[in-house]
Formats: sequence, C-alpha cells, structure tokens
Amino acid sequence: MPAVSAILEVRDLRTQFDTLDGVVRAVDGVSFDLAPGETLGIVGESGCGKSVTALSILRLIPPETGRIASGSIRFEGEELTTLSEEAMKRLRGHRISMIFQEPMTSLNPVLTVGTQIAENVVRHTGASKRAARERAYEMLDLVRIADARRRLDEYPHQLSGGMRQRVMIAMALSCDPRVLIADEPTTALDVTIQAQILDLMLDLKEKTGTAIVLITHDLGVVAETAQRVVVMYAGRKVEEAPVEVLFDNPLHPYTRGLMRAIPRLDVDAEEGGRRPRLQEIPGLVPMLTRAIVGCAFAARCPLATERCRAEPPPVVDVGSGHTVACWEVAP
Amino acid sequence: MTVLAVDGLVKHFPIHGGLLQRQVGTVKAVDGVSFAIARGETLGLVGESGCGKSTVGKTILKLIEPTAGRIVLGGEDITALRPGAMWPHRRRIQTIFQDPYSSLNPRLPAGTIVGEPFENFGIAQGRERDDRVAALFQRVGLRADSMRKYAHEFSGGQRQRLGIAKALAVNPDVIVADEPVSALDVSVQAQVLNLLIDLQEEYGLAYLFISHDLAVMRHISHRIAVMYLGRIVELTDKRTLFARPLHPYTEALLSAATAPDPRRRRRKKAIVQGDVPSPARPPPGCHFHTRCPYAVAECKVTSPPLREVAPGHHVACHLR
Amino acid sequence: MVAIADDLPLPPRRFSLATAIRRNPTIAFGGILLFLLVAIAVIGPSFVGDPLKIAPVNRLRPPSERWWFGTDQFGRDVFTRTIYGSRVSLIVGLSVGAFSSLLGLAMGVACGYFRRIDGVVMRIMDGLMAIPSILLAIALITLTRPGLGIVIVAIVIPEVPRIVRVVRSVVLSIRSQPYIESAIAGGTRNAKLLWRHVLPNTLAPLTVQATYVCASAMLIEAGLSFLGAGVPPEVPSWGNIIAQGRTFFQIAPWTILIPGGFLALTVLAVNLLGDGLRDRLDPRLARRL
Repeated sequence: MPAVSAILEVRDLRTQFDTLDGVVRAVDGVSFDLAPGETLGIVGESGCGKSVTALSILRLIPPETGRIASGSIRFEGEELTTLSEEAMKRLRGHRISMIFQEPMTSLNPVLTVGTQIAENVVRHTGASKRAARERAYEMLDLVRIADARRRLDEYPHQLSGGMRQRVMIAMALSCDPRVLIADEPTTALDVTIQAQILDLMLDLKEKTGTAIVLITHDLGVVAETAQRVVVMYAGRKVEEAPVEVLFDNPLHPYTRGLMRAIPRLDVDAEEGGRRPRLQEIPGLVPMLTRAIVGCAFAARCPLATERCRAEPPPVVDVGSGHTVACWEVAP
Repeated sequence: MTVLAVDGLVKHFPIHGGLLQRQVGTVKAVDGVSFAIARGETLGLVGESGCGKSTVGKTILKLIEPTAGRIVLGGEDITALRPGAMWPHRRRIQTIFQDPYSSLNPRLPAGTIVGEPFENFGIAQGRERDDRVAALFQRVGLRADSMRKYAHEFSGGQRQRLGIAKALAVNPDVIVADEPVSALDVSVQAQVLNLLIDLQEEYGLAYLFISHDLAVMRHISHRIAVMYLGRIVELTDKRTLFARPLHPYTEALLSAATAPDPRRRRRKKAIVQGDVPSPARPPPGCHFHTRCPYAVAECKVTSPPLREVAPGHHVACHLR
Repeated sequence: MVAIADDLPLPPRRFSLATAIRRNPTIAFGGILLFLLVAIAVIGPSFVGDPLKIAPVNRLRPPSERWWFGTDQFGRDVFTRTIYGSRVSLIVGLSVGAFSSLLGLAMGVACGYFRRIDGVVMRIMDGLMAIPSILLAIALITLTRPGLGIVIVAIVIPEVPRIVRVVRSVVLSIRSQPYIESAIAGGTRNAKLLWRHVLPNTLAPLTVQATYVCASAMLIEAGLSFLGAGVPPEVPSWGNIIAQGRTFFQIAPWTILIPGGFLALTVLAVNLLGDGLRDRLDPRLARRL
C-alpha cells in the first residue's frame, strides 16, 4: 500500500452487461489504488475488462445494458458509485478526464477545435468566453501544436491524427484534472507519432502533477510509460507491480506467457540462423457469460491444479509492491 | 531463385475535384519501388501510414493496375496483363489480409471460402475438393468438422487461419501478407506467426510481409525494406537493419518503437518531430528532409536514389 | 506440429416460433395481416356473389346483416366489390414489386459493378424518376387501351430507378470489401463473383425496398383508378369503387370508407413487413455470434 493517500481507490469492482447470450461479467472483482501524480498502466488483451474498468470509474456505462453491480470507487475520498448524475457531470472533464483511442469520433466534427476546448472550460469553471478561448490557446500551445492561434479555428478533419490526439489531451487537461484516464490513446497512431504523444503525456504529467491511468494492450507502451502496472485477464486482476519489477520478474503464468509471446524488437532472437518459435498461450479467453469457477486462467495454465480450477486465488502481496493472484506462485 | 521481382513500380491515384470532376492533383502512393524475393524468403515491407506499402501489395497482386514499372512473377512479366490474361498467373501469388472480420464472406460456410480456389482453377471438385479442404484445415490448426461453420462463428485468430488455408490451397510461390497479425491479440499473434514460419519452411513459400510493427518484422523477416512516402529508403538484411541502420528515418522508427523493457525509455534518442506529409503533396527532393535532423541543402532539391553502399545494403540518402 | 486452435464454445440455438414472433413483432404483425389479406383475395371471391350485379331497388343501403358493408348507388354489394377489389390491388402491388425488383436488380448490379455503363444508366434513371407515374399511365393508356397490364407497366417504369439506386449502392459497398479482393486474388472470375459473393448480399436490402415499392404501387393504382386512368371501370378496384362512391359520400360514406380502409390496411401490412425486415436484416444491427 502506498504511503501517500491514494487519489483513486477501486475496491472489488464488478461491472456487468446484459446481452442476448446472458450476463457478461466484464469486470469481476478488481481492486487497485492510484497515487497522486502517478502513472498506472492497466494492460491486458481484448475483452479483459480494462476499458470497462475505466468507463466504470467515470460512470459511463450505458444504463440500458450495463451496471456497476457492486464495489467501491473512491476519488479523493468521495464515493463515486453512489454520486448523483449531476455531481458526476461536474466531475467529468473537470477533476477526472478521459481520452479515447479514436480522436476523430471523440471530437465533434462540426465545431472548431478552439470552441470545443473553450466550451469545456466554460462549463466547468464558469469563465468568460474570452478567458476560455485564451485558456484554449494556452492548452494547444502546451500540447506543442505549432501555430496554435490559427489552429483554434480549425475543424477536426483539417488536422492529422496525431494533432487530433493532442487536441483531445488539451481538452482533457483544460480544467486541471487530478486524474487523466487514457484508453488506448496511441493505438491508432503511427509509431513515430505514438512516441511523440507518449513523450508529451509524460512531460505534461511532470508539469501539472496529474495522475494518469494508461490503458493499453501494448506491453511496450506500458514498459516505457508507466510507473506501476496492473495486468488483467477475463475481468480480473492477476498481477500488479512497479514496472521494473514486473518486467524483471513476472510471476503470474499469464503475464509470463504474454511476455514470451511477444516478438522482441530489441533482442536478436535468432539461434543459429533459425527463427525461433514464439511461446504460444494455448486456448482462448473464457466466455464471460458464465460465472468462472476458480482461477480464470486455469484452463490455459501449464501449472493449473485441481485447486486452481475450484477456488479463485486471492491477490497476495509478495513484497516490494508486487501482488499476484495465483495458487502456485503465491499460495 | 527469384520468384518475384519488382522494378521501378509506380502507382499514382488521380484526385478529382471541381464542378466537372477534373483531375486536380495526384496522390503518388508508390513512387518507384524495386526489390526481389527469392524462394523461401520473407521480405518485410515496413513503414507508417501513407507510405504506400499496402498499395505495393495490391498492385503486385494486380488488384490495382500499376501506373508504371515492371512486375515479374516466376520469370514472367505480368505488368500489363488484363484481368483475363492475369487469371492463370494467380495460382502463383496469393494474399492474406489484415482484417479477419471483413476478409471472409459472412454468408458463405468456411469450407466453401477455403475451397473456392480449387474450383476456380479446376484442381478438384466435389468430394475430392472437400477432402483437400479438410486437409488444409488441419494443416493450419483448425478442426476439419468446422468446415460447415460460418465465418462469424470463428474467433479472430481462427479466421486468420482460414485466410491462410485459402491462400495455401493452390500451392502458390509467393504470398503477399498485408498486416496479417495487426488486428490480433498478442497471444493469438504468436500462434499465427509461428504457423506462417512453419508453413514457409515446409513449402518453401516466399512472403512479402507488410506491417508497421518492427518487432514482428524482426521476428519473421529475412530482409527488410523501409518505406517512406512511396519510396524505399533502406533495404537490407534484418540483422544489419537493427544493428547498423543507415537511413535517418530508419533510426527514427527504431528509436520511436516501444519494447517491453522499462529501462529503454531512458536510453531513447531524440524523437523525430512533425507529421508525415501528405502523399498528395510530397516535399521536393528527399521526402524525409522536412523531419530529418541531418538535412542539408541538397536534400531539399534532389531526391537521393536507392544505392547499394555495402553488400546487400541499400540506402537512399545523400549523406550515407 | 501445430497447436489445434480450440473452437469457441457456441451456445446451442434452437428455433422457436414463439421467440421469433416475440423478437420481431413488426414482421409478425405485418406478415400475418398480409397473409390474411392475400387469403381473402384468393379464396374470398369464391364465397361471395357477383360484384357487377345491379339491383337498384337496394341502392345506398347502410351496412346491415344482409349487406355487411352496405350497397352503392347501383345496389351492388360493397362487401363483394371490396373483396374483388383486393385482387386487383394485390396483383398490381405484387407484380410491380416483382418486376421492378428483377429489372432493378439486374441494372443495379450492372451499374455497381461495371464502371463504364454506370454514368449513362444512372442519368437515365434520374430522368425516369422524374416522371410521375400518373401522367405516364394516362399517356400510355391514351396510346393503347386501358388494362391491368398497362397499369403495371406504367407504375413499374418510375419505380425501377428507386431499386436500381439501392442495389447499386449495396454493390458498390460490397465491391470494396476485402473478401471480394480475396476472392479475386484466389482466382474467382466475374460471373462467379457476382453470383456467389455480390448477389446474396443484395437480397436483403432488395427485399426491403421491394415491399415499399409494393405498397407504393397499390396506392398509385388506386389513385389511377380513381382518376379513371387505371383498370377499366367494370373491373372492381378499390380505387374506382371509391371514385364511384364519391358523389354520394355524404349520405353513404361506407362506399368510400370501407374500400379506403382496406387499402390503408393492406398498405400498412406491407409497410410493417418492410420496416420489420429492414431492422432485422440490417447487417449493422445483426448480432455477433
């Protein structure tokens, strides 16, 4: 547990969706803390529940089909799951902001970039239009958009993908949030642009002290950006550790499997001229419509025992901020 | 033995505008690309969006007609062949696409999709075709009895396997793989990459492997060509590319790419700034000069040709 | 050695009529209604009397036990005439729907697939759409003789462009799909490409459009008959029944309201069927798995 009091505390969060095939337990008992000014990476493959966790924090789950079934989310001590919708609206974009993967669909195509940022400022701080516009300019400059004055009056489609993502970041940071949730912010961007955006985000974090929750499927992004990492699988947290500890010594079989399955950019993997095989994780992610008995990874795990299939393993602290949920590794 | 050779390939797309829809500009998607692939070899074609790598793939397959240049497949010049004349040559070159969800017809059973090339070329009909399809399914790691299922009943990784099975049906010499693993999860990606490598070793297939992911490239390619705005800027064997890259853009790519090593971020070199220019208005001279930290006057004026500066190592840069 | 990729466990799906009806109420309602009306049109005339039989002594009687829908100014039984009239409307509606679908499908696929004829044919279609069918019908009838066939032709011509447009846009969007390119690369040639890959994907939107054309055609036919430019007056059609009842509307409203109500009901049934099918068959709303 971090010594400083956490700015965000998630405890045993369970989020479910109603589908034609049954109730999907997208998030199935996830807990973690976020310290002020920290970058927390949440990593996992598609369907693991990382995005749904983010949407749950901001209560953006569509009420017609989904709900936070149980659990607690405390932001600066305040319980968010029971907050009124009015209060949540004041919170979103102001004290907790979120940016998404596809900036083109998150930005309004018929409003100029400057208007959209200014609107956010006015709504949350009640500033005058002029002051808000000035703030919008400041933000565009902060995210390193050249010729910011002119860009204020441009429309999203006139900007490149990288620039749109910068605009999203500008909008998200315009009201000085304490937490920024970034859901796959660079997945749709080219490699060189991704590097620029990640560099920018880290730089801004230093300047503003905003804590970042970075959600991604890319272990490389997490390694180079996050300070602590949570690994999710089938709606549950399987491992959590400071980033260097996780990559030096991954404990959970799923984490280890993932790391061995990735082709390495920085390591010459060839042995005697032959291309080696990547380690595969056999099988598929389990269907989330049925309650999973025991460990979610048991069906694919080389170490699985009867106990693993019967009882879900608890999250156990193994020291130096490293926690794992596995009967075989941390009994 | 060279199975595919491309020489000075050019593909320009006209931009129409105005009231009468006249041509007002050109997108120079591919602007003079040359390479050759030998039997059993994987040539990786890497670059960011707008570099033209997908267009190269489609043009080689004659799904798009080239504007200029030559494509030689198995020793025969297929550049100017019309669709009818091109048809028999299609047995020698097949393709795998990126999106496992839209590259299979949602209304056909999987067995029909995979077996279609058998019918097309009259290789096998009816029962014999079904037997061969079943064998293909098993070869790529799918259960033969899932032949009757529809595409949406398979997972993303399984659909890619279906695409691979279909490509294998006619025993091609070359397979153009356009981002075949980009849409897959890491664990599934590993399965598909392993399968592709196995098949290459078993059948002596040549791959033109198109991707933006350098780590995947490093794993599967023998040689790698780096593309920027329609041109190849560096072409060499994989080891040399990662150990001694010569072109500034290659350096930029390697530096920007992420790897699962937390200590890497502190060792990063300067990150290249700016956005990729539009292929409709490429910068004059060397296309990369607007973002290149080493650019000199000549770079803005003349376009550097792709030259062999060391055995097997080609670079297009005035300064190397 | 290749690892066998496990299949996704598929929940068993059994077809149940009750569930199908519950999930698609619009299709169910429209379909059943239409079925009943078609049944009436087909077997109804066997059970009623002669629609042309005149009996002036019974003129303008209100609906009663003897004449369920009353009688018109010639003493003809409105119920009988309405039943017979349903035949005309349904024949016209279904014929126009079928012919314009076939023609529209052929032209739409050709335009969507072969770039060269696209420009020319679409401009012709635009021209045809501008012709109001009523005027076209009147012109054709003047040149030939009034008859059911002429009416059908006159309505088909302006309706075909609507279907051509829909089919063409579907074909254009299919053409750019990766699975088409994949098929071409795999050696599939034009004929098989169209038959196996393109055509099946056009059937759903085509069916939906066909129902709208059918509904529209029935209304147009009624309008034509009302104006006297439709079927010959001796053939009872809802349109000319209404026309003939026009003069006595105030004292005998049933002569107009009953056939009008049936027309509205039939059009409603077809429209509901079309709406329900559109929602059900829209690939974007289609369920995964």
